[in-house]
Amino acid sequence: MSATAELPTKEAHVLKGHEGAVLAARFNGDGNYALTCGKDRTIRLWNPHRGILIKTYKSHGREVRDVHVTSDNAKFCSCGGDRQVYYWDVSTGRVIRKFRGHDGEVNAVKFNDSSAVVVSAGFDRSLRVWDCRSHSVEPVQVIDTFLDTVMSVILTKTEIIGGSVDGTVRTFDMRIGREMSDNLGQPVNCISLSNDGNCVLAGCLDSTLRLLDRTTGELLQVYKGHISKSFKTDCCLTNSDAHVVGGSEDGLVLIWDLVDAKVVSKFRAHDLVVTSVSYHPKEDCMLTSSVDGTVRVWKK
Amino acid sequence: MGSDEEDFVFHGTPIEREEEIGSRKKKAVAGASGNLRTLPAWKQEVTDEEGRRRFHGAFTGGYSAGYYNTVGSKEGWAPQSFTSSRKNRAGARKQSVSDFLDEDERAELEGQSLSASSQFDTFGFTAAEHSRKQAEKEQHERPSAIPGPVHDELVAPVSESIGVKLLLKMGWRRGHSIMDVRASSDARREARKAFLAFSADENTKESSDSLVLENEVDTSLDPQFNEDIKFSESTPVYVLNPKQDLHGLGFDPFKHAPEFREKKRSRLSASKEAGFRKPLSMKESLFGPKSGKIAPGFGIGALEELDVEDEDVYAGYDFDQTYAIEDEQPARPSNDSRLRLTSREHNVLPGFGAASNTDYSVDRFDPPKIPKDFVARHKFPGPLEAESKPTASAPPDVPPPEDNSLKLLIDGFATFVSRCGKLYEDLSREKNESNQLFDFLRGGNGHDYYVRRLWEEQQKRSDQSKLQLDVKVSASVQKMTAETRGSLLGERPLPKSLKETEASASSGGSFQFPTNLSDTFTKSASSQEAADAVKPFKDDMAKQERFEQFLKEKYKGGLRTTDSNRVNSMSESARAQERLDFEAAAEAIEKGKAYKEVRRATELPIDFLAGGLQFTSGGTEQIKDTGVVDMKTSKTYPKREEFQWRPAPLLCKRFDLPDPFMGKPATAPRARNKMDSLIFLPDTVKAASGSGASLSARQVSELQEPKKETSVEEPEVEVEVENVERPVDLYKAIFSDDSEDDDEEQPMNGKRQEGQEKKNEAAATTLNRLIAGDFLESLGKELGFEVPADVTYPEGTKPMEEDNKSKGKPDASSEKRPGLKEKPEEKTSSLTLGSGEEKSEKKREKSPGKWSGGNDLSSSDSSGDERRRRKRSKKDRHRKNDSESDSSSDYHKHRLRRKRRESSREKRSSHKKHTKHYKNSSSSRYSADEERKESKREKRRRRD
Repeated sequence: MSATAELPTKEAHVLKGHEGAVLAARFNGDGNYALTCGKDRTIRLWNPHRGILIKTYKSHGREVRDVHVTSDNAKFCSCGGDRQVYYWDVSTGRVIRKFRGHDGEVNAVKFNDSSAVVVSAGFDRSLRVWDCRSHSVEPVQVIDTFLDTVMSVILTKTEIIGGSVDGTVRTFDMRIGREMSDNLGQPVNCISLSNDGNCVLAGCLDSTLRLLDRTTGELLQVYKGHISKSFKTDCCLTNSDAHVVGGSEDGLVLIWDLVDAKVVSKFRAHDLVVTSVSYHPKEDCMLTSSVDGTVRVWKK
Repeated sequence: MGSDEEDFVFHGTPIEREEEIGSRKKKAVAGASGNLRTLPAWKQEVTDEEGRRRFHGAFTGGYSAGYYNTVGSKEGWAPQSFTSSRKNRAGARKQSVSDFLDEDERAELEGQSLSASSQFDTFGFTAAEHSRKQAEKEQHERPSAIPGPVHDELVAPVSESIGVKLLLKMGWRRGHSIMDVRASSDARREARKAFLAFSADENTKESSDSLVLENEVDTSLDPQFNEDIKFSESTPVYVLNPKQDLHGLGFDPFKHAPEFREKKRSRLSASKEAGFRKPLSMKESLFGPKSGKIAPGFGIGALEELDVEDEDVYAGYDFDQTYAIEDEQPARPSNDSRLRLTSREHNVLPGFGAASNTDYSVDRFDPPKIPKDFVARHKFPGPLEAESKPTASAPPDVPPPEDNSLKLLIDGFATFVSRCGKLYEDLSREKNESNQLFDFLRGGNGHDYYVRRLWEEQQKRSDQSKLQLDVKVSASVQKMTAETRGSLLGERPLPKSLKETEASASSGGSFQFPTNLSDTFTKSASSQEAADAVKPFKDDMAKQERFEQFLKEKYKGGLRTTDSNRVNSMSESARAQERLDFEAAAEAIEKGKAYKEVRRATELPIDFLAGGLQFTSGGTEQIKDTGVVDMKTSKTYPKREEFQWRPAPLLCKRFDLPDPFMGKPATAPRARNKMDSLIFLPDTVKAASGSGASLSARQVSELQEPKKETSVEEPEVEVEVENVERPVDLYKAIFSDDSEDDDEEQPMNGKRQEGQEKKNEAAATTLNRLIAGDFLESLGKELGFEVPADVTYPEGTKPMEEDNKSKGKPDASSEKRPGLKEKPEEKTSSLTLGSGEEKSEKKREKSPGKWSGGNDLSSSDSSGDERRRRKRSKKDRHRKNDSESDSSSDYHKHRLRRKRRESSREKRSSHKKHTKHYKNSSSSRYSADEERKESKREKRRRRD
């Protein structure tokens, strides 16, 4: 009971503004702001704690699938159906650069720690690394060992980790030049790094979240109970790494205990598919976005 | 000097000609050039290379100019005579284009094209053209009375044609109709009015009031215009009455109410706004309507109203204002409704009235009702089916003729006929009229047998096609197939065909090969008893039951109907595994092996191999305990593989990391995906990477791997996984069944490749067999014997087994792996490794730890070097695992070897040695990983 009391299951705000499905909701680095993007081709900057829309960024020609902010909150990048990665300036709202090169929709983008590069994961079965520092339009590197669409990408200080529909979570370690492919046997929808960096949570399309030990590739735990079969639904760990949060296609949000994989909390967050969940880096606060066009802020 | 010269007397000095001087000078120059320089400047002469003088004095033309270096010409210089411009200054010439044209250009401009001369211009076309041009010219000079462009087309000037001349000679006068002039006065008047309708604004009123002001018209018009009117009388075709109202053609709204017409006209004139024109009478309307093309409602349908867009089209005419008012004025609803109504009935002939109530209504028919049992696909009756009906009653079963060749011929022929239809039989009967061999077609020897065979084949075919059709509806519906009938009749049929249809229907492309084809023919029922006594799967009762069922089927023949019952509990691959398992066990039993051995073979295959017994089934499938499979599948994932990956230097820089590959040559990139390498792998690369075909084929099958395995793991998600698109449907169809036990196999070594190659071969043969289909079945006894013959290896003959035995290391997989030949490519690679390692490499492919090794992706790497290196490292790892029981020296030996060989990993391996136990050290993370892996593997093995 005490565990559930800590969880952000009370709706604090509803962020309305997107016309159409919201595909991703992301906190910024310190958790004070949130960026959402959706099918209405806009990216919106919110103050989720007050429920205020701050800015709307329009330039995408198609739906925006993912967005990520730099650690200094000065820039952000976005990607989507128009096969390009947009590199934005937060304050002016202008597109600084567009990285073209993906042959298909781009599913996910991430900055690295120093915000020097953007890594994008695309439908064209590749991860592409784009340089933000130089004016080069060519990707710094194309990682195309995936056999199918790359759905999700996360970066550590030294590694690029991508999750693909081919069922693998591939870790590309730059220090030693190795690629480690963890085959889960199921299409990987979303991957999320634990806060200690030792585990990867992979949401698979068999309605299962799998927690992998990164060093050994061992399957640590399996979380079931939600529905994830055909949509890109996100999952993440709480900031304390005590729980696992996952969105379900029936509008529910489930919170599992990390260790014993019990569903600790299960509540209806949206009417429709929960596309994205994002957990506040410090507080017990959570963002969920849905196809129903709303973004909800959850607090305890 | 001659005598005549002496007669002349010379006075003075002769004038020398310049040329002579020049030539002489030249000679002089040539002779003594030195002298020339001594001459004073004004006496020096500049000459060209021929010695001619090129520069002359100013008075002689300067530089070699003029006529003989003079300024003049041959004729001399003639100054232009002076003419004063004072007189003709006023009449300054106007320049025209023709002034600047040549003769021919002028001719071209004036259009001297081919045309009939006016003499023969009967219809006046050329003359008309001429005069029109003339008129055009004039038009520019004096503004026409008729503005706008239209009149040119309407009123084409006509010169006198020969016809006119004739008419004139016959007493016709210009401006009069050819017929009685007086009689057509009405028409003339109408024509004039019509023309006026087109004329300029100033004439509008007159024309509109033409009824009253007819007399004034003539006077009000200028003479030229008047003439035109007259002219138009004789050429009425050009004077077309414009239709400017929106009434139906020939409709006169005021026909029966002339008083309204009067009223309307007066109203219009009062408002000074527009004109009203008397609608054409009956007689005129016959040609009047033809003028529809120049009405203001140009392009507007009769039912449409004038739109805003239509208004301004003909700006020069005020038709809209003048005439549109007449009928369609929303301000005047009094006659609006009526007019509107009448205008709707535009197709009412004059003299007819439109019916007030129409009984015309569009009949709408419902679409035909589709019978419920209608199939929206044409089913071709086909000669086959049609003919099979009359012979539905089975002809009596006849023993085949003694002559074996004849029997074969009949069998083959029957199959053929059943496929191609009766027509073929008739044809061949005709063709082989005299051929003794084909007597059976004409009721001779073997005819009965032929009839029987044909009937059987037809039955079989129809059943099959029906089966294929019905599969979706109800897979479980049992048809009276040849097999069922055969089993009823006590025959021992080939179990393949039904099996095949079932399998293809249920699993969509996983095929069973008829490996037990031979069994059907060779095994005697007696061996069944032996098998009955033996229970190789005693620990698993369900399995034992299935095994018994299998044996029953195997030796008794009959249908594999139980397959469908088993579908629920087992996946396709598991079933296939089990089946192979059973076969192997049955074979062992049959060969008189002890029960113990069999049991060990299936449960502890290591010992089994040591015993020298080997089970193969088609050389493609691994023999495996399905129970183990089911238990293990959940643990096969996640499966970790490692490859080399080279980050771009810039990427490392951006991540603030040192490039691990700094200063090392670039490795060839891995093939992007398996299809790429399959399709685009160039020959050279293929050669480099070993047998490219088998490699890529293997890759393709591996591509299916995850999917297959998921089906093993969780059958309920299977459908979902199927939705994930894979680019290789064809290959999936071919290979999916073969790769189902891939989870147990470690890719990335030679034997694996070898096995895959075998698989591919087998798959290809399977495919061929499928294509061959029934033909094989009918003629397939010989073939059936051959099938297992070339894939089964005799036991205990494999050198590999010997190796394994001698090594005495327990390796679960290598013995499962049937004897596979070494590929040349592998040999070369292993040569570099040293002969001793060849075996260990072989072994490790089936090491229980599934975490390491299998690099299905990297195997597509075109650089053999890279692959080899990876292999080595992997092998070392495996080696390490396999030889855990070995002495540590062995371990270090390998380490050292690896170190020696792998320059790229030199540093790290040494690291490993030293920091092996510091698991948290980031620099030695890899060694730590490996350690952990090892322990895990060890644990798992123990558990297993």
